[in-house]
Amino acid sequence: MNVAEHLKRSAVLGLGVSILLTLVLSTWMFRAEEGELRLQQRQRLAVMHANALALSVADTDVGETGRRVSDIQKLNPQIESVIIVGGMQLVASTRAEDAAPRRLEREEKALFDLSNQIRSARETNQGEEVVRKKIIQVDEKVAGHVVVTVPYIAHGEFAGILQMKFNTTGEDVFGLTPDSYTLPLLLLVAALIAGTLLRMSADKRIDLVKLFVIGIFLAIAMLYQNQRMERYEQMVVQANQAVAEKYLATAEQYDRLGYLALAIDNSSANLWDTDHYQRPLGLIAADGSIPAETQAAHFEKRTRFFNRILWAINLLGVAVLLMFIYGFAARTYAALKEHAYAYAYVTPAMIGMLVLVFFPFIYGITLAFTDTTLFNEFLPFQDRWIGWDNFKAILGDFNLYQNTPDGIIWNYQNFYWTLLVTVVWTITNVTIGVTVGFLLAMALNTEGLRGKAIYRVILILPWAIPNYITALVWRGMFHPQFGVINQMLQMFGMEPVAWFDGVASSFLTGLATNGWLSFPFMMVVILGALQSIPRDMYEAAEVEGANPWQRLRYITLPLLKPTLIPAIVLSVVWTFNMFNIIFLVSGGQPAGANEILITKAYKIAFENYQYAYAAAYSTVIFIILLVYGFFQTRITKATESY
Amino acid sequence: MKRLLQILFTVGSLFIAGIFTVAQAAELIVWHAYRGAEKTAIEKLAKLYETKKGVTVTTLAIPYDAYADKISASVPRGKGPDVFIYAQDRLGGWIESGKTVEPIDFFMDDATRAQFLPGMLDAMTYKGTVYGLPLNYKSITLIYNKALVKTPPKTSAELVKLARSLTNADSGRYGLAYWYTNFYFHAALMNAFGGKVFDKDGKLVLNSKETVASIKQMMKWYKQDGIMPTEPSETLVSSMFNEGKVAMVFNGPWFIGEISPSIDFGLAVLPVIDEAGKKPMRPWLTIEGAYVSASSKQKDMAYDFAKFLASEEAGLVLALEGRQLHTNAAIYKDKRVSDDVVLKAFHDQLSSAEPMPNRAEMTMMWSPATTAMNKVVKGNATPEAALKEAAGAIQDGINALHKGR
Repeated sequence: MNVAEHLKRSAVLGLGVSILLTLVLSTWMFRAEEGELRLQQRQRLAVMHANALALSVADTDVGETGRRVSDIQKLNPQIESVIIVGGMQLVASTRAEDAAPRRLEREEKALFDLSNQIRSARETNQGEEVVRKKIIQVDEKVAGHVVVTVPYIAHGEFAGILQMKFNTTGEDVFGLTPDSYTLPLLLLVAALIAGTLLRMSADKRIDLVKLFVIGIFLAIAMLYQNQRMERYEQMVVQANQAVAEKYLATAEQYDRLGYLALAIDNSSANLWDTDHYQRPLGLIAADGSIPAETQAAHFEKRTRFFNRILWAINLLGVAVLLMFIYGFAARTYAALKEHAYAYAYVTPAMIGMLVLVFFPFIYGITLAFTDTTLFNEFLPFQDRWIGWDNFKAILGDFNLYQNTPDGIIWNYQNFYWTLLVTVVWTITNVTIGVTVGFLLAMALNTEGLRGKAIYRVILILPWAIPNYITALVWRGMFHPQFGVINQMLQMFGMEPVAWFDGVASSFLTGLATNGWLSFPFMMVVILGALQSIPRDMYEAAEVEGANPWQRLRYITLPLLKPTLIPAIVLSVVWTFNMFNIIFLVSGGQPAGANEILITKAYKIAFENYQYAYAAAYSTVIFIILLVYGFFQTRITKATESY
Repeated sequence: MKRLLQILFTVGSLFIAGIFTVAQAAELIVWHAYRGAEKTAIEKLAKLYETKKGVTVTTLAIPYDAYADKISASVPRGKGPDVFIYAQDRLGGWIESGKTVEPIDFFMDDATRAQFLPGMLDAMTYKGTVYGLPLNYKSITLIYNKALVKTPPKTSAELVKLARSLTNADSGRYGLAYWYTNFYFHAALMNAFGGKVFDKDGKLVLNSKETVASIKQMMKWYKQDGIMPTEPSETLVSSMFNEGKVAMVFNGPWFIGEISPSIDFGLAVLPVIDEAGKKPMRPWLTIEGAYVSASSKQKDMAYDFAKFLASEEAGLVLALEGRQLHTNAAIYKDKRVSDDVVLKAFHDQLSSAEPMPNRAEMTMMWSPATTAMNKVVKGNATPEAALKEAAGAIQDGINALHKGR
């Protein structure tokens, strides 16, 4: 197969696959979104009825309440049943078998708990002066039957809940033709035809035809998405019209019965058509009219997140297309075919990696773009999405120090301070680890040293002891009054040091502990490398008259490099994230000044419960290490030196 | 081939039958974090309940460090125990995140509500709803070395006078020691002055003149009177007490097991603070409760077991064998309990003590508050400035959680 033919096939296949992928994904998304709208519509109508009924019985006595509830239920065939629960009492019910009022039965515990939950949600929202807890509960466990629970307010006081079972079967306000596959199929065919007509040139990385292929892809994808979006917008308009009609009809009923007066002006908000926090949606005015300007704003808000998803789909499509027209796809296919067995063998491991590594990793990064905390983690994902705000808050906070008459006061909570501490911490620790490890390894590598094995075991011991224990032992040794270090200082007539009070001295405690923990690793690595350096090199150098320094400088160090560099890279990453030592020895004292990034992230997540902010923190840590690793391997060419 | 299928079928049906019988047998899973005598006592009670009600109770000891996270991770996903036992400090967080703790108001009768010591049920109540049955409480009290202290001090003036006579900083001897930089221990003083972390509506009121006064009182003991050692910690306090280097400590029931047998110790109620208008020190109570898991399939039975654990019968076992301070008021009338010096002393302290807040926001308080205490003790900040900064940091954290929708 010649190159031209190959490229042509790539264009056809690429366009075909990427368009197909985009169409399928977009359709799927639109379907989901439309399904969501249908669900919301069902719930919205049910909430409207429940709100209306709750308002109409707000100031009536028990007998009148029961009467009104059953009147309204009879007038609206969609309302299957209504119950009102106040404390332990079933106040009113439209179900004949209930014989309200009566005490709740054991099986009705859920109603009692729900009532308490809604009361506490209302109180929380009022007490904190923010709206964060839902006070209307909607659920649809049986398809077509929506159960809405709203607070039952009697004489201005919370008195319980009103629960309405609402039948929505057979109700579809959207008079739309079902999805047709004609348009997507036509678009697919168009893409394939366009692909066969195009000729790409093989020698240019970017040529006009390749750009043109991408252009065709985007044009087709967006044409389809726009067309679906228009249909969706039409549905939203219909949804509002349907609610407005229902609202007017119901309001007329209440008006006629004298239960609630219909407010015939469009200045006040419609109190029936609310969200789950019982705030008016503002889409329908109190007189049933539909204000046009809120409509557009609402649609824009509604589709903001959705539009991003569509863009993500298009980007994915472009990526797939590029894979084809630059031949990655063909090469991957060839490799898969050629090494089919090898890939079959690694599949279990790959699945394991996917589940245990990549999924949590991607989940963590996604979490960083939300505002998830303990208090809102149950909300749907798109409600928590806040984009880059967490990263802006972390990286954009330059409140690093304050100038006061007494001098500069550092803000230890600032990200850049913590980053600085982390970097200094890493550099000093690795330097100490490598230096001490190198010196000890050189000593141990001395020819004819007696008891080498014993020394080696002793020197490896710090590494073998669990670092929790080591950390706690060192913490005890640094105790200002009773720690062994201060006792020794006093023995030599020096003043005791309050180790954890100063930024530098507290830093030193961690450094000493981690230095103690990290030199054995370096020593073992270097010792291994030293022993693999052939003796004759030194002999040859000696014959040539090289002094010990020159032998170290020109033989030992260059030959250590291939072993040392990966060890240092690893050690930097470990130290950068050395949680245990900081957490257990100094605990970031004083005032969090010695916190490193990872312990800070821990505190944000598990003391302040700001999960998303902590995830963003961790993502920043990851990016720093990624950039570091990238440059480190680039500069030292560590990977190529073998 | 036919044989094989037959065998497979038999094995399969046996397996399925096995699953069903397991599912049908009444079995309650109970998680706790007890070791030693407490563990033995609760296992004994599980056996007792089994013989009484015919319900198998399986107790599982979970290491304390992993306990709360294990509950948070498993219960909302429909796994985990039917009943679990934990202190009230995590209760608010579990309720806010939802699907973890079952409200039990509905199950509770008036007799059950009335059986507890005062204040116990408050710790299990979150925003007006009861979520657990209190089992035992812990608070700090005054523990002294009888060889050094003849009569324990009743007021802060007596305390200072006595402690000064017993202090010799050069030889490392002090009259009083407690972990005063830890806000949990400091709370006893704060409450004496009427300071609070949260008001009744849940607003943060840590930075108040009462709290400032309480910190100044602590600083007086430490700096001016010089009766307390520097850099206190749990291990420091216990080692000094065991070496006879400190005469009095403020500590809780967990400390009793750490006292070396050579020390003859006594217990007394924390002193009255003259500077706070003769108000007694009121330590925080941590109260362990038995909670019904929200994902339990047998909540009635689970509640019944929790109720059993809170009953007088179980309370006596837990108190006398598990060495717990049970919450059932009736057991303190029992002679075996009232004759027990340790149990009686902590019960006496209860009359001036208050439950530690169970709000989820409490976890955010510890770190800034401890930082503030350390700053003040080290002379890096005035009590006013340190508290203001701490309250600011805590409020930021709270605002991030209380974000509107």
